[in-house]
Amino acid sequence: MIKTLPNENLLRYVYNELPVEEQHEVEQALVHDPELATACADLLLAQRTLNALASKPSARSVEAILQYSRNFMRSA
Amino acid sequence: METLQPSDSALISLYIAGKEEAFAHLLERHKARVFTTIMLIVRDEDVADDLLQDTFIKAIHTMKSGRYNEEGKFSSWICRIAHNLAIDFFRREKRSPLLNLDTTSHAFNSLSHAEEGVESALTREETYAQLRELIQDLPTAQKEVLIMRHYGDMSFQEIADATGVSINTALGRMRYALINLRKKMAVQPIPYDQNLTQREPAPVRVQRIAS
Repeated sequence: MIKTLPNENLLRYVYNELPVEEQHEVEQALVHDPELATACADLLLAQRTLNALASKPSARSVEAILQYSRNFMRSA
Repeated sequence: METLQPSDSALISLYIAGKEEAFAHLLERHKARVFTTIMLIVRDEDVADDLLQDTFIKAIHTMKSGRYNEEGKFSSWICRIAHNLAIDFFRREKRSPLLNLDTTSHAFNSLSHAEEGVESALTREETYAQLRELIQDLPTAQKEVLIMRHYGDMSFQEIADATGVSINTALGRMRYALINLRKKMAVQPIPYDQNLTQREPAPVRVQRIAS
């Protein structure tokens, strides 16, 4: 299974960090290399799973921050 | 048509110039990312809420005192503050680590349950709680990169700079974090979402997930 895991370039590709030319190179490779494409798909699915853990703070906490900022503006 | 949103830099400039609503936009844009970064380290909603406030209070002081450095991304900067505060808290509390057993609490209810039954909603939440635990069990350096990259929106280069390693080391740590998550999930299968589990090589699926 290790062989289908993303290499470092693929990681940068799925996180949109590669320069355009290198993006094209990866995309060409994905077309011709099913194993690489599978690794890419696995990584995108993993991203989606990790995205599901995203959480939000309480409204009370957000309001407290806004209140602090408003008071800071007045006292500054 | 999609409305053009002001950049973080523009909002910061407006805020420093006295436009309070610009800060509200910044907070709205980044609160979930910062909160999730903290939450994955401290694992307690109340503590995470407190540390979120500390994080943005630090940011307010830095911006309003003219010490904000425009060179980097705001998102990376604020998440680095949050990460540092969370790690400091975690180290202080290490002797009595927090253990929140309430896996049904609101923190992981980010997906709507309106269209699914109670049972599947609970299974989903258990799955997320389990995945969160697996992330906690990763080696510290790997967990750090995963949280900073995935939830903190820091680039691999920014993570490398922040942690004092090369970009290849940061990339390698992320890669091994994903490998380790897979291994752990293979040992401890997660019932709901098998996306990270090991399986036999499958046909190309890029098209299927592209939507």
